[in-house]
Amino acid sequence: MNYQWDFSAIVKYADMLVLGLVGTVKIAVVSIVLGVIVGALVALARMSANPWLHRPATAFVEFYRNTPPIVHFFWFFYALPIVIGVSLNPFVAAVLALSTQSGAFYAEVFRGGILSIDRGQWEGARALGMNYRMAMRRVIVPQALRRMVAPFIERSFELTKTTALASTLAYAELLYEAMQVNSITFRPMEVYSAVALLYFIVLFTASSAMRLVEARLARHA
Amino acid sequence: MDYTWDFEVVVRNFPVLLRGVVVTIELWVLAFPLGLALGFAVSLGRISGKSWLNAPAIAFVEIFRNTPVLVQLIWFYYAFPIILGQQLAPFSAALLGLTLNTAAYCAEIFRGGIQSIVRGQWEGARALGMTYAMTLRRVILPQVGKHMLPAFTNRGIELAKVTSLASILTVHELMYQGRLLSSTYYRPLEILTVVALVYFVLIYPGSYFSARLERKLRARD
Repeated sequence: MNYQWDFSAIVKYADMLVLGLVGTVKIAVVSIVLGVIVGALVALARMSANPWLHRPATAFVEFYRNTPPIVHFFWFFYALPIVIGVSLNPFVAAVLALSTQSGAFYAEVFRGGILSIDRGQWEGARALGMNYRMAMRRVIVPQALRRMVAPFIERSFELTKTTALASTLAYAELLYEAMQVNSITFRPMEVYSAVALLYFIVLFTASSAMRLVEARLARHA
Repeated sequence: MDYTWDFEVVVRNFPVLLRGVVVTIELWVLAFPLGLALGFAVSLGRISGKSWLNAPAIAFVEIFRNTPVLVQLIWFYYAFPIILGQQLAPFSAALLGLTLNTAAYCAEIFRGGIQSIVRGQWEGARALGMTYAMTLRRVILPQVGKHMLPAFTNRGIELAKVTSLASILTVHELMYQGRLLSSTYYRPLEILTVVALVYFVLIYPGSYFSARLERKLRARD
């Protein structure tokens, strides 16, 4: 193996990779925010005693947990426009796929956290005259939040890695920009190694920072 | 919406999808045991006191966990011909990427399990004259196997979903076949919906039994 590495070719196109990185961060942040909203609604529906709410919510969660994300991406981009009669741009399709998919996972994080709170807390809140919403807001959620932190962070990392699939819809995130640079420079090894390194730096730094936050929270618990 | 669904094209081409299912299963059946075995080896390196074993094991795990799988698959696709001097089938590149990715996650599961056993057990086994390998096999693994099982079944489910990314490397698995059909017949709605359902049918039994197993193990503790 006497491959001549040559990173100079891709240094020239570094601005394209930076653009891609910005695209990755943008789509990840938007999808996390929307995913949390979807997840909270689905979790509430899933915990509801009303079968008209919890059955569809359970089906939603099971569907997303048992099908590959790439199918969701293609479905939202190619199939959904046929149903709604409006074509979607890659960003919107990718955000829809990511936020519904991560919504299903966040729903499980929220539900797991809330169910982990002892029944006695509900009973105590009820004895104090609180209704369901008050008990949830003042007693259960504040305690459950702390237990949700670690799995929430883990899901958000998974989501950030999954944003790479948006490249298959030609949304200009990091991997897509890398493919463009590769098609100009024909240096796949350098391009994809550099991109892997960029992902690594972003995710590793973020996960190390999050671990510090987690340790902090654990100490205050 | 006045779209007329037409599943006739899906029914007629179902054998094409089934051929994809076979390749999806092949990828899983090869990558999972290989990933488990390699993961176990890596975990031993990871917990070893020797830094020349420890450092590469940590690097391996962190690199694969902090970069998107799709980037890993594409990297191996291009790296293969350069490292080996000859182009290998996309299937091999996908298999290698999937195996190494699974190995990195499994290594962390093994490590967590093995490290959950108190040091005293190692010392006791040593006092009885057992070697490292004997202690691992007769004392440590029998105790942790049960607790690691849910984590491993989760990995198996993740892997089943991730095999769909091999379609990007033009491996003719289920997702690839689905995209091929959908672009040939311009029926993405029906075809992609059926592809999602086929994945669901393949993967759901796995997660159903793994959830049941997890409940059963927890009840027994």
